[in-house]
Amino acid sequence: MINFKINGISLEANKGETILTAARRNDIYIPTMCYISKTTPCGSCRMCVVEVQGVDGFILSCNTPAVEGAEITTNSVALENERVNIMKLYDVNHPLECGVCDKSGECDLQNKTLEFNIEKQNFSTRDISRDRQNWGLINYNPSLCILCEKCVHVCNENIGDDAIEIKVGGYSSIIVPKDADYLDCTFCGECIAVCPVGALVSSDFEYSANAWELSRVPATCAHCSAGCPLEYETKHTGVNGMDEIYRVKNNFEFSSLCGAGRFGYDFDNSAPKNSDAFDKAISSIKNAEAIRFSSIITNEEAHILELIKDRLGIKLFNDDARKFAEFMKAYSSVSGKLHHSGSLEAIKQADAAIIIGSRIATDNPGVRYALTTAARHNGAKIVYAHPMEDVLMQNVITQFMKYEVGTEEGVMAVLAHAILADADLDESEKAFFDDLDLGYIYAETNIGDEELEDMMKSFARSKNRVLIIGNDVIAHECSANIAKLAALIEKYSNFCVVIVPREINTLGVSLINTLDKDEDLENVVGYNANGSFVISSLEGSDLAVPALNQQEGSVVNIDNRVLPTNVALKFNGYTLNNIANALGIKKDNTIDYTKELNQDTGFKSVLFDDLENYLAKMGEDIRGYILDEVVCEANGKLDKLDDLPEYNGTIVYHCDPVLQFNAHTNETKQLEKDNFLRGSAQFCVAARISDGDMIELSFGNIKIQREFKLDSELKGTIALNPTYDIGIDANRYRFDKSKIVRVVQ
Amino acid sequence: MSKVYFSTWNGELINNISKPEDEWEESAYNLPAQYDDHRDSKAFIGWDGVALFDKNVDVIRLAMEYAAQYQEYSEACGRCAPGRWGGQILYDQLDKIARGEGSIADMDHLKEIGKSMKVTSKCEIGKTVPNPILDLMTYFEDTFMECINEQKKSKHYDDEIGYIAKITSPCSDACPADVDIPGYIEGVRDLRMDNSLKATRQTMPLAHVCGRVCPHPCEDACRRSNLDEPISIMSLKRLGADWETDHKFDFFHPKEKKPSNGKRVAIIGAGPAGLTAAYYLAADGVEIDVYEELPVLGGEVAVGVPEYRMPIDKYNQDIECVKDMGVNFIINFKVKPDDMRKFEEEYDAVMVATGTRISKKVRCDNENPELDGYWSSIEMLDQINLWDKYGIGSPVDLTGKTVVCVGGGFTSMDVVRCSIRAGAKKVIMIYRRDEKTIIRNTTYEEYHEAVEEGVEFIFHSAVNKIIDEDGVIKSLDFDMFELVPDPDGGRAKLVLIEGAGFNMEVDYLIPAVSQSADLKLLPQEWELDMTSWGTIQTNGKDYMTSRKGIFAAGDCEYGPMTIVNAVGQARRAASVMSRYIHTGEITLSDDEIMEDHLKKLKVYNKKEKITGWMPGVLRQHSEVIDVDIRKTNNKEVNLGFTQEEAMSEAERCMRCYYIAMVAT
Repeated sequence: MINFKINGISLEANKGETILTAARRNDIYIPTMCYISKTTPCGSCRMCVVEVQGVDGFILSCNTPAVEGAEITTNSVALENERVNIMKLYDVNHPLECGVCDKSGECDLQNKTLEFNIEKQNFSTRDISRDRQNWGLINYNPSLCILCEKCVHVCNENIGDDAIEIKVGGYSSIIVPKDADYLDCTFCGECIAVCPVGALVSSDFEYSANAWELSRVPATCAHCSAGCPLEYETKHTGVNGMDEIYRVKNNFEFSSLCGAGRFGYDFDNSAPKNSDAFDKAISSIKNAEAIRFSSIITNEEAHILELIKDRLGIKLFNDDARKFAEFMKAYSSVSGKLHHSGSLEAIKQADAAIIIGSRIATDNPGVRYALTTAARHNGAKIVYAHPMEDVLMQNVITQFMKYEVGTEEGVMAVLAHAILADADLDESEKAFFDDLDLGYIYAETNIGDEELEDMMKSFARSKNRVLIIGNDVIAHECSANIAKLAALIEKYSNFCVVIVPREINTLGVSLINTLDKDEDLENVVGYNANGSFVISSLEGSDLAVPALNQQEGSVVNIDNRVLPTNVALKFNGYTLNNIANALGIKKDNTIDYTKELNQDTGFKSVLFDDLENYLAKMGEDIRGYILDEVVCEANGKLDKLDDLPEYNGTIVYHCDPVLQFNAHTNETKQLEKDNFLRGSAQFCVAARISDGDMIELSFGNIKIQREFKLDSELKGTIALNPTYDIGIDANRYRFDKSKIVRVVQ
Repeated sequence: MSKVYFSTWNGELINNISKPEDEWEESAYNLPAQYDDHRDSKAFIGWDGVALFDKNVDVIRLAMEYAAQYQEYSEACGRCAPGRWGGQILYDQLDKIARGEGSIADMDHLKEIGKSMKVTSKCEIGKTVPNPILDLMTYFEDTFMECINEQKKSKHYDDEIGYIAKITSPCSDACPADVDIPGYIEGVRDLRMDNSLKATRQTMPLAHVCGRVCPHPCEDACRRSNLDEPISIMSLKRLGADWETDHKFDFFHPKEKKPSNGKRVAIIGAGPAGLTAAYYLAADGVEIDVYEELPVLGGEVAVGVPEYRMPIDKYNQDIECVKDMGVNFIINFKVKPDDMRKFEEEYDAVMVATGTRISKKVRCDNENPELDGYWSSIEMLDQINLWDKYGIGSPVDLTGKTVVCVGGGFTSMDVVRCSIRAGAKKVIMIYRRDEKTIIRNTTYEEYHEAVEEGVEFIFHSAVNKIIDEDGVIKSLDFDMFELVPDPDGGRAKLVLIEGAGFNMEVDYLIPAVSQSADLKLLPQEWELDMTSWGTIQTNGKDYMTSRKGIFAAGDCEYGPMTIVNAVGQARRAASVMSRYIHTGEITLSDDEIMEDHLKKLKVYNKKEKITGWMPGVLRQHSEVIDVDIRKTNNKEVNLGFTQEEAMSEAERCMRCYYIAMVAT
């Protein structure tokens, strides 16, 4: 620890901690314009200068570590003068359009101008013409830009798109798309979030509301299992009108949000109370053999479904959560613990990671951002094992380990073999590895032992390692053995494991519900899922229920964290709790179940209203609570490796494009609805199709039509098939042998 | 010493205004009074002051043009609030005064903004640009006020005057390759490793190599050492290169290759100089053939510098980057005089970059290279490196042997440390001078790592005589010396200590004293001018030999020197050649002329007091693998910085960019 003083107060700082961070931790205010906690300091605003006793000149506090014995002053006449001068410079020629500017009321420039009492624009200079830019979902107005560089830093260091940069040139400096004429990025909108002024704005939101007219509802993003914190901002649309969500914001100082979270907020449902439909729903459930439901629901709803199952003696189908539960059961049988050990924070802190079985950038942007942070800030060595390269991950990963489709079990076996080479295994574990026919596995997986050697060499210096397991593996027919291998790696090495759940609450449902294997029965009520009677927040349902942004309740995210979410928009129709009450399962409110969630699987008896929903001062995630660890019997044994399957011909990989996740994101208006089948030039040749062809794609017993798009960023004979618009059986391994025929129009 | 009319350079105030010219006081600094062969300078203005060489200089316009450089020319600016807006206001207000529209309030604004920029700007450009401007406003206040009061244009406002500017920094100035060091460090600090690497590659294509084995003269000119310790400049260079390699990106070239211009250049030797010249000439659209005698590319860095110091897979990345620019390599081709005659005919220009590949003798009795056990360092390192890195030839096994190396420079360090790795029983370094000198000639790390690995250093010693039996070396007689200080303060003298000599049984004597150039490829009738130490003579600025169209760079020109020196020479030569092949004339660009002027003036001032930075933030040291793990194999000894170390080290950099400008 470093001992030093700020304004006469004795403080401690960690080695390497900057003066500014130490000050903030201790509630000492130092003004900044360009500083953002989650990136490296760029030092452009110079507002955070401080004085140090015995040192001539001003010291920048954002990038200078605290030094033992230093005596620092954050405020003096001299400092105030310079800060005032800097603010005068920031105000040079800044357009006086606060009256209409989106940022007005929450603008850092406005705030600091007031704080430092700048009453007029003291200096001016000949201005230059700067054109406003439209970059799709994002608008950029260079005249308002103060070149703080926050956008550039988050885009590179936290997101990984690295899509914008500063074109330097003194006064004429501006932000431009990097190495391109137009903005080619994943449109996470993080640049908008961090912009302290009105330079970068949402093109949809621009000029639609003033900051002070909007109400904020803290919630949890519903689109993937990262469960990112966000705030829905709502406003009345008229005298008698309903509320509407105008935009989504996030605590960008510490957390990030993808474009689906930021721009895909209008998946709310609207319906009046339809008592006929409600009565039909009740009778359908009473007659049903099963309820089929999706994991895009709250823990409380899942709990109610479980109560309905018990009361009516019907089955519950949810193959997504069931597969996940099976995977976790196998994992636990070796690890002895119910929950995986890793988290997004563990990934951010990692200096080595292996990711297997996921196109993670689109499957779970939260994991991608955590990996980006690890790559940039820790120089993490990241191995990406998958049959397909992903260009979005190139500047993050250090080793692409391409394996053959279907051979995941073999891949995990050789990974474990390499990682556990010196581990003190027990007899049966040793026997498993001794039994491996490595030559066969190397040949079938197409992973060479040099690749594994390279991996181990690159990991040599690492201290914090993470193994990230994706959905390809969970849905794999040998998933149980793969899960055990993952647990074995965790048990005998310093890897922690993160298993990526598919949907926002796959993990929660897997801990709450006892699920049955899905079967094609006649009377199945669908809850946000298919069935003979459909209760859903999506269009075309038989009974409308609220969407996740219209509900109170909780979900469990990838961190094993129970997160509260709140009502952004009111829903006037019926809820699942109304149905439960009609079936004799009585509670006033859905959230009355929060404290009754299954404690055998780690839930705590906590009232919904006691769940916090914010990040603390230094970014600590104190939302909700982390599931209690549950110890279980560790008597699982590894199975002998099966023969590895072969996939030949034209293969499709079920994988959503950037910004799309499911039927809910498909309902939103801003998110691009790219539903092409995308393949490489090589795929064109193999499938005998070309760019722009309308094709009929069949796999299993499914047949769909799509337009084919030649994608120069793809390689090999696997094409990407979106699922958000068709829905795909979660039980299904994500690679499919397919038949592709050109449709003659 | 320079003759000046007026100067404030580095705190000296020389004011010859209204004195007759023969009474002018001279400046103590090497200011660029003569710009080049055919142009005088009228003024020089920079970070540290302003010098006028002519009475007739328009000082207002000079100040305005200097401020304009900051706005228009500077690639560094735009990165901080005081610099971005302050710089613009300086320029704008000065221009207003110069065009006859200024007011007294503008003078006050200039002073106020100038002062703020000096204390709060991010980099030294912002902090120093106001210096000479404020000097001019102080000492020529009357001139400024005259324009303001009379609302008239400054005296040469509309005239054609040449203003030539260059961005420099103390470290770049000290770097023989003029690498944009603050630029690549900023890339690391911003975690934009592609920018970092591009900044390096503007003038230095061997980023992996010079991020590992450069003796880093820049660190001796680091302004941070005036405050606490110099930045670990060299180690930060490899981050960009490692990033490109780790992520398997296509090569980040600093500029796009120009289309072919139909000109052809032959380069003899694929070492650092040859590779560098090839890279920049190819980028300019010249067709390049590089002829290499060895079966491998890379020259001495490939076959001289051992794997544990410079892993070949990393060097090969640098070489691949050069290839990626579209360079044609011909290996196993020993160029002979006849080839040279042919090349002169067939190519538009030829560059000789053959290095110094002959080990010099130790100069003792009975020294005969034919003796069994007498092994030149070049041959020894060739054999080791060709085997270790390429599997060519046979391995070197010194198990049970006693090896004596005579040297004191990098090559001798490579010899002794390789001998340890080859299993020698005993390895002895014989060096005439002391420990301090060997560290200065190599590096502190290199010396200490060798000691750790078990090399025995005998200082103040020399081999007197080789004793052989039937042509096989059996033992050596050594002399011992002492250093006797020169009472007049000159270099201490080595004086033989009578009776202190001794004899030792040895198996090998490896001379690594120095190397000389093998220039048998040059046709005799060309009668190229040679230096007294047997290298090719050029003027050290344009690198053309005494024969038109034949250029030379690297060790064969300079004598055995550093990689970065070879790179710097070759890049300059390539630039000269790229003009020569079109015009037949030898010229330097303005940037190169300014570079040479600034080198003479010296950018680094080790007496300067640093303000605005916290002292006591100490230099990071990268991890070195344990001696027991490394000394039996070729594992890279220095693991480089972790990301965290690199970022803290980069944060220490003070971005000491400066703008220098000459008016002609």
